[in-house]
Amino acid sequence: MKLQDNPYYKKLLKDPWSYTAGAVILALLNIGLFASTGKPWGVTTPFSYWGAWIYKALGGNPESWFYFQQKAHAEAIKAGFWMDGHSVSNLGIIFGAFLATLLASQFKIKKIKSWKQVVAAILGGLLMGYGARISFGCNIGALFSGVASMSLHGWVFMIFIFVGAFIGSKLLVKYFM
Amino acid sequence: MAEYRLDCLGEACPVPLLKTQKKMETLKVGDILIVEIDHSCAVKNVPEWARKEGYNVEIEEVDDGQWEIYIEKTK
Repeated sequence: MKLQDNPYYKKLLKDPWSYTAGAVILALLNIGLFASTGKPWGVTTPFSYWGAWIYKALGGNPESWFYFQQKAHAEAIKAGFWMDGHSVSNLGIIFGAFLATLLASQFKIKKIKSWKQVVAAILGGLLMGYGARISFGCNIGALFSGVASMSLHGWVFMIFIFVGAFIGSKLLVKYFM
Repeated sequence: MAEYRLDCLGEACPVPLLKTQKKMETLKVGDILIVEIDHSCAVKNVPEWARKEGYNVEIEEVDDGQWEIYIEKTK
């Protein structure tokens, strides 16, 4: 039998898993991450460190900024990439996603359709990055880990992510389709 | 019984679904729309929406990471 026709290959590697399976696995992994690093899962805070390291390599002095003078951030950028568990987990996400795509044999380099798409992607990225800093995290750090930590800010985040998504999709339909 | 193609290659969610919904409105009953997609999430949400509408749906993987979704407007 060809591998592509094997029902277990299809079920485990080819077809998407159910939302419930994903949720349970994410919850278990977050418990593991919390137990081993002392911090629940987060994605965007390490990006600010990556930015600081790049800026430093180019001759800048991010340590003098208010944000990087906060104790946790100051220690993290001093310790470096491999000592920051969440920076390493971000790397793991990229490699894991790449591996999953290859195993499902769905890897494809997509073409850029239009300049509009480029503008939308850059604008969206900037807004998400800015928003993630002023709300102390993204939908992972602030929402997923926030709600799991019984913190009110996670629930507030959840309400406003709907407001933002509503306005965002209206703008998307109006200007980028 | 006309057949239409909708090129959504290189488009990410929710654009393929929005474009499909818009295009289906212009089709007559019995017409078929073939949506070309290379975004794996859209392979989930486009057929999901179409089946909920009661249309006949078929998915074909035409290449690595590329699909054609056949939607028949049944009503």
